[in-house]
Amino acid sequence: MKPRLSAAQARREWRLYLFVVPSLVMVATFAYFPAASAIYHSFFEWQGGDAKQFIGLANFQRLLNDAVLWDSFGTVALLILFNLFKMIPAILLAVLIHRLKSERWQYAYRAMLVVPMIVPHLVTLFIWKFFFDPNLGILNRVLDATGGKVLLVWLDQNVFHWQVFFERIPIGWLSQPELILPSLFLWGFPWIGAVGVLIYLAGLQSIGTEVYEAAELDGVGPIGKFFYIELPLILTQVRLNLTLLIISTLQGYGLQLLLLGDAGGPGGRGMTPGLWMYNRAFIAGEFGYACAVGMLLFTVILLLTWINHRLVRVEK
Amino acid sequence: MSAPVSTRPGRAGRLAAVLPHVVIGAILLIEFFPLYMMLQVAFKDNAAFIDNPWLPAPLADWRWENWWFALNLIGPYVANTVFVAVTGTVCSVALAVLGAYFFARYRLPGSGVLWSLFMVLMLLPGIANLVPLFTLLKELSLLNTLWALIAVGVAGGQVFNLFVLRNFIEDLPKDLFEAAEMDGAGHLQQIRHIVVPMSRSILGTLAIMAFLGKWNEFLLPLVILRDRELFTLGVGLIYLDGEYVKQWGQIMAAYCFAALPLIILFLFTMRLFVKGLSQGAIKG
Repeated sequence: MKPRLSAAQARREWRLYLFVVPSLVMVATFAYFPAASAIYHSFFEWQGGDAKQFIGLANFQRLLNDAVLWDSFGTVALLILFNLFKMIPAILLAVLIHRLKSERWQYAYRAMLVVPMIVPHLVTLFIWKFFFDPNLGILNRVLDATGGKVLLVWLDQNVFHWQVFFERIPIGWLSQPELILPSLFLWGFPWIGAVGVLIYLAGLQSIGTEVYEAAELDGVGPIGKFFYIELPLILTQVRLNLTLLIISTLQGYGLQLLLLGDAGGPGGRGMTPGLWMYNRAFIAGEFGYACAVGMLLFTVILLLTWINHRLVRVEK
Repeated sequence: MSAPVSTRPGRAGRLAAVLPHVVIGAILLIEFFPLYMMLQVAFKDNAAFIDNPWLPAPLADWRWENWWFALNLIGPYVANTVFVAVTGTVCSVALAVLGAYFFARYRLPGSGVLWSLFMVLMLLPGIANLVPLFTLLKELSLLNTLWALIAVGVAGGQVFNLFVLRNFIEDLPKDLFEAAEMDGAGHLQQIRHIVVPMSRSILGTLAIMAFLGKWNEFLLPLVILRDRELFTLGVGLIYLDGEYVKQWGQIMAAYCFAALPLIILFLFTMRLFVKGLSQGAIKG
């Protein structure tokens, strides 16, 4: 245990406090102050300038009747479901790599997973946007070449009657309202984050050979091994990722902003609460209302984090 | 191997041994696909790309001028981003080392309260801050400067870095510090001669993560940068994407330049990064 210093000793060692002052100043200025300012300004009508007018709870009353906002919560709930599903491939890949016989292959695959990280996120995002391009995009070309388009058109006309896919018109993945959410689901296929896989692998490494041998003797199959041995060991990491994922999806809007624009794309189908806040502040100039939207979002996230803290204990 | 297969070595056994490699290989192929497209399209003009989107153009038709054009276009943005990312990363990690030392070495009166002051911020979603942050920066007349990006980045990185480093420094052997104190080393000297050398790998991993974070940032720069000569990659690429007639070859070449510093970074730190993450240096 590290020594606890008495008040007298602490006074002698007062210089130690200086060590934490820089961090504290930065955090107070760029995290605490803006947060306080957001609370304060959510009670004002404010265009971001010096002029502001106190309007009490009017911004919050407006929140209740804001149809766009409530729709956007629906959208983000769906996006969270998508993202939860998208967690699965990374877990399976980690298990697959972990079960390989040779250490050398394991290392090689780990290293190869990291290589695509040299492409900056933003570039990946724009390359994907390019894949979705109706005329030049890779996705439509693949569908044309493999007959997937014909299948989609046939399904549309004869089974589902979506009125979305037509024979002679290129599929507008990001320009047809009905396709916005499916596109966001496809986005990032096969949904593998290198950092996630490496962290899962780190968790899996603690499994000893004897555990597998015992399981083998008991006649546990490969699927059984996954549920009884591997999954429990990485559950902490999975839970932590789950929490971070839900929070980041809930407040995220960068992807939507860049793929679909600041109005959430055609029909506003890609509008999320975060994007709506951005839109109100920087497009409509309603900074006060944007602060109120931010407060609502903050409350929702705080609530989720609190629930999560009660349900899930995360070890250091 | 950690999971011995009990089947006799036969055709089925061989298949079972090869199958994982096929699956992993296929996944890796898809993961590498954007990288491949970026590289090969960068050598084509639009006409060549429409004719033949999949395979690299024959060497004779390579459009080297795409690269020249892209360098002029995006070079300044890359330089700005390197400045922001390097300065931000160094300051962020350095401040966190000092702060973590304070929390890890002694329990001083008030340190518990200070610690929770930082940790509470983990719960605070950054998003609610963007709007007031913008006006704060305006008042500090930091709007439209690179320093704003650095300062906000340093502040944002503190919580996570402090959390990781504090745990790490607490696990360092106490005798080292005591011995150093006997020899009359001050706190700064202890940091320089004990903490920094012993936590090199964790500092490296944290620095890489901070650098990557800076490199990929685009929301804040988009909101606060106005002058073209100050643009970081984030804003620069967004403006490039907004052009009406796109020369994909030039754009892809620009993307390659955007990735270049990361390639250099990974060349030197790949082993450290893979090792650091695989050992669970950063849990979660």
